[in-house]
Amino acid sequence: MALLRLVSILVFALALGAQALTPTHHLVSSDVDRLQAVLSQPFTDLKSAYLSIVGLSKLGVSVADSEDACRFIKANLEPSSVESLFYAAEASQALSSCEIHVSNETRDLLHAAVSEDSTVSQIHQAVSALSSLGLPLASQEVVSALKARISKEDSVMGTTLALQTASRLSQQAELGDILEDIEDLANRLDDLGGVYLQFEDGLEATALFVSAAYALSDHVDIEPPLKDQVIQLVNSIFSKKSWDSLSEAFSVASAAAALANNRFHKPVIVSTVGPPTVSHSQPILGLQVTDVLCQPLNTAVVEVETVTTVAKTQFLGKTPFTLKDGIFELNFMATSPKPASGYYQFSVAVSGDSRFVANKVELKVKVSTKVSIKNMDLSVVDKDQSIGTKTTRVDYPTKAKASFIADSHQNFAMTFQLVDETTGEELTPHQTFVRLHNQKTGQEVVFVAEPDNKKLYKFELDTAERKTEFDSISGTYALYLMVGDATLENPVLWNMADVVLKFPDEEIPTTVQSKNLYVPKQEIQHLFREPEKRPPTVLSNTFTALVLSPFLLLLILWFKLGANISNFSFSPSSVLFHIGHAAMLGLMYVYWTHLNMFQTLKYLAIIGSLTFLAGNRMLAQKAVKRHERK
Amino acid sequence: MARDGSVMRESRKRASVMSKSSAGGFSSTALFALSTALVLQLVAGDGKTLVLLDNPNIRDTHSIFFRSLADRGFDLTFKTADDSSLSLIKYGQFLYDHLIIFSPSVEDFGGNINVETITAFIDGGGNVLVAASSDIGDPLRELGSECGIEFDEEKTAVIDHHNYDVSDPGEHTLIVADPENLLKAPTIVGKPTEKPILFKGVGMVADPDNPLVLDILTGSSTSYSYFPDRPITQYPHAVGKNTLLIAGLQARNNARVVFSGSLHFFSDAFFNSPVQKAIPGSKRFPQTGNQELAEALSRWVFKEAGVLRVGVVTHHPVGESTPPAAYTITDLVEYSIVIEMLSEGRWVPFDGDDIQLEFVRIDPFIRTYLKKNGGKYSVQFKLPDVYGVFQFKVDYNRLGYTHLYSSTQVSVRPLQHTQYERFIPSAYPYYASVFSMMAGLFVFSVVFLHMKEKEKSD
Repeated sequence: MALLRLVSILVFALALGAQALTPTHHLVSSDVDRLQAVLSQPFTDLKSAYLSIVGLSKLGVSVADSEDACRFIKANLEPSSVESLFYAAEASQALSSCEIHVSNETRDLLHAAVSEDSTVSQIHQAVSALSSLGLPLASQEVVSALKARISKEDSVMGTTLALQTASRLSQQAELGDILEDIEDLANRLDDLGGVYLQFEDGLEATALFVSAAYALSDHVDIEPPLKDQVIQLVNSIFSKKSWDSLSEAFSVASAAAALANNRFHKPVIVSTVGPPTVSHSQPILGLQVTDVLCQPLNTAVVEVETVTTVAKTQFLGKTPFTLKDGIFELNFMATSPKPASGYYQFSVAVSGDSRFVANKVELKVKVSTKVSIKNMDLSVVDKDQSIGTKTTRVDYPTKAKASFIADSHQNFAMTFQLVDETTGEELTPHQTFVRLHNQKTGQEVVFVAEPDNKKLYKFELDTAERKTEFDSISGTYALYLMVGDATLENPVLWNMADVVLKFPDEEIPTTVQSKNLYVPKQEIQHLFREPEKRPPTVLSNTFTALVLSPFLLLLILWFKLGANISNFSFSPSSVLFHIGHAAMLGLMYVYWTHLNMFQTLKYLAIIGSLTFLAGNRMLAQKAVKRHERK
Repeated sequence: MARDGSVMRESRKRASVMSKSSAGGFSSTALFALSTALVLQLVAGDGKTLVLLDNPNIRDTHSIFFRSLADRGFDLTFKTADDSSLSLIKYGQFLYDHLIIFSPSVEDFGGNINVETITAFIDGGGNVLVAASSDIGDPLRELGSECGIEFDEEKTAVIDHHNYDVSDPGEHTLIVADPENLLKAPTIVGKPTEKPILFKGVGMVADPDNPLVLDILTGSSTSYSYFPDRPITQYPHAVGKNTLLIAGLQARNNARVVFSGSLHFFSDAFFNSPVQKAIPGSKRFPQTGNQELAEALSRWVFKEAGVLRVGVVTHHPVGESTPPAAYTITDLVEYSIVIEMLSEGRWVPFDGDDIQLEFVRIDPFIRTYLKKNGGKYSVQFKLPDVYGVFQFKVDYNRLGYTHLYSSTQVSVRPLQHTQYERFIPSAYPYYASVFSMMAGLFVFSVVFLHMKEKEKSD
């Protein structure tokens, strides 16, 4: 752990050596307003009243209705609780006219709390309450009690409270040992990427530490050993812009107040008014110089130390800013020679108070200009150059009347120049793109136009070569020129002309497969097999009649021959046999229409056996009869 | 964190009690159980989320986003990305359900996390939210390539000289993205809004061969991605509408991944900032749409939105209530399915009008839309006149929803011999001949047995 700390200090020292650290996170005035709004919530209990009232007073704001607040404190005060007394005493002191009178027992209770048996937090509350109530206290005893407790508890929060407590004690007491704890705690801060310094315990611990350290240092008038760390502390305290709880907002407000008003270190926030840009129409670079609570530091002296160009050559030496309505101004375009468009590195120094920290600021300032497009010539060139080309000049921002037609044997070409509108110098902006947009399919193809060494932009579109980028889709494309650069005030998006591109037809993409997985598929209906065509029924009916005719013929012939059934005797066996025989034939029909073979065999077995027995019996009877007759 | 824990226990009950299946047929019940088990496994996770940060301070600068996650019941574990105790998989089990990587500049993850374990995590169904920035390190670029997203190089940024914010510090990289460049999928991006989105970070392009990549937020036609401080000497990585600012991916196993090119996109500062394009005459909005979009994206990526599951599946012939052992060709069949959607931790009936049923034997024979009928979707249709082993298949894959799949196997047999047409008019001569023969046999047997011959003497 010690090694890690050493390494972190080393890294930190290196980071410091590399560049002067400036706050990357700070409150802007809307953040301060929001902080104030968080702290102005209605009170729910005495603690919230304390956090709100004291927190707001740190921001230099008083509670909306101080009499009401005072009444709330008095109503909720519990004289037997040190904590409650602490909240009430601190809050009442922050209110201008709210005095709390305490009995002798309460005073004894508070005095009794200052001992080695109480926790640091209790000692802190008791001592703060006593001091806020204007009661006497024995500072040396408190110091010894605190020392004993710190060595026992050894937590960041405890030590921070001890620092806070010590700031309430008499200056005659021996505060030296406790003062050293500031350095001990500062060594416990974790360095995050050279930008942030914070305790593992979180934002609240860090913020309260800063506020306690400066409170004690101011009290004893000894500079805290935090000068190198203060910017990183500012970064970590003010990086969170939305506060979860009242106590978190309170801690941030306390830290902000401590950093804005102390006798040793005062971080300076230098920000530009609006974007850091100057141009011919807006030549003044305005700087806002504030403390961490966004209060302007109008007594400060602000001056440019150097201005260098991107190429690291010095452009401007020491130049002062002038103060005008709370804003430090410099007319950068009035310098001679006039700055060309581009980026400039400003080193700005803020002086006027020895307490200023982070008073050397590096700013990247942009000088912007306006671009104009000159000599825009469009043409369609035959590849074999057999026909002289006819160029068409188009002026910004009009559109060419006729559209250009280019097929696969031709190139579409474009030349133009980009110049600074005011100086007439040629420019090479970052973005000079040519965009072809097919309105029908929504497809867009973008090409980069590049300047030659005379800064003349040339763009040629080889229709045959580039067909894959257009998916070989012929049609009308709207031609746009896009010019843009961070240093250009007027980015250009110019619809110059319509271009009809004709690609060879042989490669029409045949399978336009739907790439979209997320749409319903096409419905499918099953196509049922159609019944086969049948011959006419007249034919089948005729043959049916023909087929039935032999049976009729049989009946007719029998009738003629005199067939009869006179021998039929109504004996049960013969009746049963014929019924059974008919039933078997009937079963055959039912088999055809309804039954399966197993069912049929089952019924056939029953009917068949009956019929067999009956038939046997009938034939036997017939044989006996015949025998008798003979 | 204690508070988050208690909220978490509430949401563990999300895996609500399942209604018992009354679907007949062994195969359909088994399949149903299988598919619901799959869905349950997806949502029953208790929202354990690992958050990897570049430095602990990101927790403070992005506190609104993390608080909204914690309030919704996620159990967040914050670690710095180079923490040596990091671990995503232990003894073959995933320790977390979700992963948030808010550490764009990481060059090597700590512990035993690396790109392979993160890909394995996604393959195992884990959801990942990645935020990059112009300081993008190699591991995130590799992870992007694994998911079909190509990040631009380190130190590049998306630049748009036409759509940058008034508070842009000078390089036109603080981009105002119009909400019409958002993907048209409310489950992913939330309700349509007018509020523009602030973006500052690195650009991406989608792998054209990966159809699963979703262009959640694209740049405008005038945007491009390049080094802001170097002249353009080669074709930029991403140009125009191909520039992806936020991209998403729903893998085939329903794992979801969202890549944002900007870590600032999720920051408190961007959530609360006013936004106005720098072009004169543009409208000023008091707040960006970042917070709504970030919340909607986190709901989608962490499976709070757009999660579907299959409920009870039933099928039977029309007029009956139970499925037969086998259907016969050309039967009229009724199929119904219950589809539910996860909404605020509870399963509610899903409302969709484009759910399709397929009746498949290798290829689909029938594909038809299901109609919503009370709490379920159903359709009646005539089976094809082809026999074989078929499946009722609902394969619902829509933008922003998990892939819903249910298949129920049934067999379809040909007509029994008694089910054919008995009396075809063209065959009447055959029937007539048979019946006349049968009648003839009967009459003949009666006459033959009982005829009294005339006396020979007569």
